[in-house]
Amino acid sequence: MADSTASTVARERRVARRRGSAFGLRARVLTAFATGALVLSALLAAVAYGLVRENLVRQRESVAVNQAYLNARYLRDSLRSTGVDVSSVLDSLTTTDGGTPVLVRNGVVFAPLGVGLEELPPQLRTTVTSGQPARMRFTLDGESRLAVGVPLPSVQASYFEVTSFRELEGALSSLGLSLLAAALVTTIAGASLGASVSRRVLRPLADVSAAAVAIAGGRLDTRVASIDDADLGTLVTSFNDMASALQERIERDGRFASDVSHELRSPLTTLSASIQVLDARREEMPERARAALDLLVADVARFSAMVEDLLEISRFDAGVARLDLDEVRIAELVMHAIDASTDADVPLVVAAGAVDCVVEADKRRLVRVIANLIGNAEAHGGGAVGVSIVAVDGHVRIAVEDAGPGVDDADRERVFERFSRGSAAGSRGAGAGVGLGLALVREHVSLHGGRVWVENRDADEAGARFVVELPVASEPTTAPDPGPAGVPAAQASA
Amino acid sequence: MPVGTRILSVEDDERIRTAVRMALEDEGWVVDEAASGEDALARFDERPADVVLIDLMLPGIDGFAVCRSIRRLSDVPIVMVTARADTHDVVAGLEAGADDYVTKPFQPKELSARIRALLRRARPAASGRMQVHFGDLEIVPDEGVVRRAGDEIHLTKTEFRLLCELASLPGRVFSREQLLERVWGYDYFGDGRLVDVHVRRLRTKIEADAAAPRHVVTVRGLGYKLQA
Repeated sequence: MADSTASTVARERRVARRRGSAFGLRARVLTAFATGALVLSALLAAVAYGLVRENLVRQRESVAVNQAYLNARYLRDSLRSTGVDVSSVLDSLTTTDGGTPVLVRNGVVFAPLGVGLEELPPQLRTTVTSGQPARMRFTLDGESRLAVGVPLPSVQASYFEVTSFRELEGALSSLGLSLLAAALVTTIAGASLGASVSRRVLRPLADVSAAAVAIAGGRLDTRVASIDDADLGTLVTSFNDMASALQERIERDGRFASDVSHELRSPLTTLSASIQVLDARREEMPERARAALDLLVADVARFSAMVEDLLEISRFDAGVARLDLDEVRIAELVMHAIDASTDADVPLVVAAGAVDCVVEADKRRLVRVIANLIGNAEAHGGGAVGVSIVAVDGHVRIAVEDAGPGVDDADRERVFERFSRGSAAGSRGAGAGVGLGLALVREHVSLHGGRVWVENRDADEAGARFVVELPVASEPTTAPDPGPAGVPAAQASA
Repeated sequence: MPVGTRILSVEDDERIRTAVRMALEDEGWVVDEAASGEDALARFDERPADVVLIDLMLPGIDGFAVCRSIRRLSDVPIVMVTARADTHDVVAGLEAGADDYVTKPFQPKELSARIRALLRRARPAASGRMQVHFGDLEIVPDEGVVRRAGDEIHLTKTEFRLLCELASLPGRVFSREQLLERVWGYDYFGDGRLVDVHVRRLRTKIEADAAAPRHVVTVRGLGYKLQA
């Protein structure tokens, strides 16, 4: 339980980290620009809206109040003369747009334009009734209105005038909308500016990143085009310098091993030719000289193999190992490889399904793979006891078995490392190479897109089994016409 | 092998040259030596050899140039010696006119086998006829002559043998391995590039348009065939 919790936490942390890294510099710049533009424009809009609104409202209010006072005075003057029709006086009042008069006289309410006394705020009524002029904003029927109340004690009346702010509100809301739209546009402009700035700023970084990927992929001569920018120019220059240094270093290392091997090949040519001359005269030699010649022959062969191995591995290191592919029948290839190996008598068993398996292969390399595995069995496993080929869905497996002590679990990866010798090391038989044999097997096999591993043989048999797994060619071609003399087809055993 | 077959060995390293000469002499060849490209051309001019063995890395005129110069004078079999089998050297050497190559360090016995294979005569056509026709192409194996539209075409011995092998079963596809075995005498381990470069060379000589060959046709994944 605790384990699962721990792993959940770890996973969440991983997810969080991934999310963090997914939110890249470009997105952050863009967000910063957009947020900045939004905050600034929203602030400006709010301030502008507030100022405009306050101004307009105050202006509108003072107009309404003045109008109400004017009307109140006119009413008072009119009502002083007796026998006046109150309604017609009220009708003749000039009111601001939407202004509605309400007159209360001796408890009688005159409200010719719909707004009645009950609809006025009670607080306002009380204040005015007690003889104080007042004004108050209130909302009626969803509209903001201003009510101005003027007591007219000389005619025992109170005059109210209600003014609608509908148009003002309308103007203010369209102003608000425009400001909001402006803020939105500014935000979008900010975001796109951020995007373009970040893209411009990051383009050299993207170039550098693409170049780094290319270099990691083996194209060592990749460089970034220089740019005219004091800050990023340095980055590009340093990157290119680094790439050049790296390329030079890799090429020099690769060249060194390769040059050394080539230099060694010339004296080896003299040695093998001279040995052949000597060998042709071995019957004329005293016994001691013959014994020395045998040693010479064996070790020149070993030395040649070492130089070949070194040269081969240096090609892998320099990244210049290239496949020279042919479509080959794997059974045929293995048969020939065994024939050419140091132990041509190893029996080969080809499973029925693998007889016609065709593999895209570099023949030279695969022959070396088989030869190295047989050589390895000879050096560490007392000699190979059998080679088998089986087809396993889409792949073909070549197994080289020996009856030696086997390979410990702990060593199963290590044996494929360079200069590692199996646990049976110490016995440097004539077949022991320089310690690159299995490392080369792995390099060759992975160059073919295959795998190699070692396992123990079945429970009742001691020994190791080295297995090479290769992909079978996608389109098995028909076997080439053998022609009249006919190259023999794969046989079931070598 | 005819007695007294003469090999011109071009190698700048004296010790290699001497050891190889002794080993080749043990194999029964007569060996002339040249220490440089200039020396080799002078000697070849003086006394043409039956086979030329050229190290590709020579001071002065390099092996490729020597190869081309000798090829202009003669269709003698040329074997190049290279320290690098994996590079373009092999293909470049074959394109310069070499017939085969060995990689240092080589066994002189193996080199002798290669030379013997190159000196073999072309087999007569399987049909036993004296001449074979492929469209405008006429091959006379016994005379070692090829004509296109009546004009004689000059082929090296190896190119001619390759053509005769393809002609021995017209229309039949030969794999690279089969051609390596029949023309160069290789067992399973020959280098397919030998066939490819020779086919290319052959096409430039016998085809009207080497880029769109009508006679020596590639059969993808299988090999080559000759057709009318």
